[in-house]
Amino acid sequence: MTKEEKPAPLAKLPDVCVRCATCMAACPVSRVTPRFPGPKQAGPGAQRFRSAAEASVDDWIELCTGCRLCDTVCPAGVPISEMNMMAKAKYLDERGRTFRDWLLVRSDLFGEMAARYSKIVNPLMKKKAVRWLLAALLRSDRRRALPAYEYPTFRRWFRTRQGPKGRGPEVAYFYGCFTNTNETDVGKAAVELLEAHGLTVVVPPQRCCGIPRLGVGDLRGAREMGRRNVDSLLRTVRGVDIVFSSTSCGLMLRHEYGPLLHLPGAEELARRLFDICEYLLCLHEEGKPAVTFQPIPMKAAYFAPCHLRALDIGLPALELLRLVPGLDVSLIEAECCGLGGLYGFKKEKFAIAEEIGKDLTEAIARMKPDIILTDCEGCRMQIRHLTGLKVLHPVQLLRDALERRGIA
Amino acid sequence: MKRFDLIVIGTGLAGLTAARTAIGIGAKVLIVGRGMGALTLFGNTVDLLGEIPPATEMAEGITHWIAAHPEHPYARTGWEGIESAITAFRELFPPPYPFAASGRGNSLLPTGAGTMRPTWLTPVTMAAGAAMTPSETLIVGFRGFKDFQGDTVSLHLKCRGVVLSLPRYGLEGLTAPALARLMDETSFRERLGESIRQQMAGERFIGLPAVLGLRDPAAVLKTLETVTGARVFEIPMLPPSIPGTRIFHRFREELIAKGADFRMGHPVSGVMVKDGRCAGISIDNPPLVAEYRADRFILATGRFLGGGLWAEMDRIIEPVFDLPVFQPGERGQWFGERFFDPEAHPIHRAGVLTDADLRPVDAAGRVVLANVRAAGSILAHHQAIEEKSREGIDIATGFLAAKRALAS
Repeated sequence: MTKEEKPAPLAKLPDVCVRCATCMAACPVSRVTPRFPGPKQAGPGAQRFRSAAEASVDDWIELCTGCRLCDTVCPAGVPISEMNMMAKAKYLDERGRTFRDWLLVRSDLFGEMAARYSKIVNPLMKKKAVRWLLAALLRSDRRRALPAYEYPTFRRWFRTRQGPKGRGPEVAYFYGCFTNTNETDVGKAAVELLEAHGLTVVVPPQRCCGIPRLGVGDLRGAREMGRRNVDSLLRTVRGVDIVFSSTSCGLMLRHEYGPLLHLPGAEELARRLFDICEYLLCLHEEGKPAVTFQPIPMKAAYFAPCHLRALDIGLPALELLRLVPGLDVSLIEAECCGLGGLYGFKKEKFAIAEEIGKDLTEAIARMKPDIILTDCEGCRMQIRHLTGLKVLHPVQLLRDALERRGIA
Repeated sequence: MKRFDLIVIGTGLAGLTAARTAIGIGAKVLIVGRGMGALTLFGNTVDLLGEIPPATEMAEGITHWIAAHPEHPYARTGWEGIESAITAFRELFPPPYPFAASGRGNSLLPTGAGTMRPTWLTPVTMAAGAAMTPSETLIVGFRGFKDFQGDTVSLHLKCRGVVLSLPRYGLEGLTAPALARLMDETSFRERLGESIRQQMAGERFIGLPAVLGLRDPAAVLKTLETVTGARVFEIPMLPPSIPGTRIFHRFREELIAKGADFRMGHPVSGVMVKDGRCAGISIDNPPLVAEYRADRFILATGRFLGGGLWAEMDRIIEPVFDLPVFQPGERGQWFGERFFDPEAHPIHRAGVLTDADLRPVDAAGRVVLANVRAAGSILAHHQAIEEKSREGIDIATGFLAAKRALAS
């Protein structure tokens, strides 16, 4: 017998908020700048005064990074980040979005092209003049290096590769844009790791999950991206589970397509979607695969991305990493890396992102790890930028532990 | 579907204590919370029974109290149970940030309302507050920090008070987490100490709002005491409580390091109950419902503020298991005449009734669910607010519930 929830769902109402201010203890932004009033004020506080008929006056709403940590600590179940998201959408729908926002959220489109010509593009992007020009054009911050492109892309590598294709049960892989054009080794590691667990990997047609568009409050754009993904993924994978290696793409696919964007089929898709480490850990717990990891005697620090915490699946990567003999791995006690996707690239928000990241940098400095592991590409970029240390996706280290070989 | 030895529902002090106790016995533990729990709402000091006059020795006072209150949660644990649970709690906070009692009985500590409040254990950052005398104390507030009105506090405590403008900060939007974060910076607190020193007129004690750092409060204390030459103490104030956040972080760090699994941010939406036992719970994370199974369960969801009890128009319910709830008569009898009545409002005695083993029972005293235990303020027949027993009940019953659960 399963009992249904007792109290009637009160959600979505700002009055559910009891003003306890717990969210203020979690918000990474209001902790570093008084310019953002914090989730209590920006969310349910301001919500009571918002009306669809009146123009938005939420001048600070763009300072919310959309990390969703407020949602994870609220004892009253207030959908704080969703309130912020809707307010941001209204504000920007009224004010209009900049050319920068238009361009940056389409990085999936020019990414393929940039990857193909990466031999030219990458050195160009390192040139001072080009960086100055890009910064001026995009109002991005010159101090933040733009990520380099890689060729062949993950998709191309997967399509053309020789070697093991596996004979076991199928699993589909959602790699995400950044893996495809900027960090292809994450995708390769994911595939090798899944195959080592006796699975046959398929890569269904897919596009950007659309989360960058949510970042600029473009709900219509995000819905459009989502619709195409749901169509394609459902058609290809009916009967097959899908794993993702980017926790932000995963959060978008699993929890925003349905509840926020109301895409038909989203719930069916969500039931088949798993974080890759969550999926592998499940296999290990069921004792199915005969995978044993080889020792990697190293000191590793694992960082739990905000969107992983919003997924609310625990820390599966950390649990998997603990299966690697000799690996001394511990959790970094810090709340947020500060990058917030495209947020930290923007000139006017760079200082906030840096300041949030400082707490993480200090936590890492105290731990003195040989290597840092985290599931989110944004966090990896930010931690490399802040510390200069080696930062990998957990699946890369796990892949390296499959056989005794050096860390890639 | 994951399987655990024990699932703890509730991430407040009772739930965290239960989870830590169980982990210490070697159990595989999942702790789930709709949010971060109530530690940020109170959680400043450890009250055992503030009601006992400071001159009375605590063991003696509580032993007498238990004899006079056979239905009170302390009657389940006895003084020995309280003592061993508190000892375990204190082991989690070794120097430089220990919790200690200042005498053999309660000590009086200044509050952010300008009153003196009895408590048992204080963190080292508050200890000097128990020794302060009004004529030798300077209360320091910060301009623009609305959660601590320094002049009101000093007026009521009959101390001298100053309100400082902070370096590097505007006058608006100052929050406790932002202040605590600034305090963690050595240069900031050195400058602050210097500005306090310039305001001193021979005082031997300095009282500040409880924002002396999140990461290393003992270091903040040391800097301020060195620079001012006075003894410095934190004064508990409005939420979000920084000392409570420290307690939460310390527990979480310890639990994750020892392998406990956390789920935070979504409510328990259903329970699987069969033949008088609970087999599992489900957590609602739209559009998905995740199921978790365990052999034993501890319910530590708090009272009304934490969501452990719900008041409907004419009855009080427990929303997770729909347990029988003791309530004081009809709605008309729930409240006293005045809000600040020194007598507790009768509704404060509402809660879950249990047997000696902390298993919920019905009105006839029959065990309702054989493998479920209740802990913390959800238990009936205490008046934690008026008695000042909140943390004591949380720690002692959380500890006992875990011991009993795993002994079964």
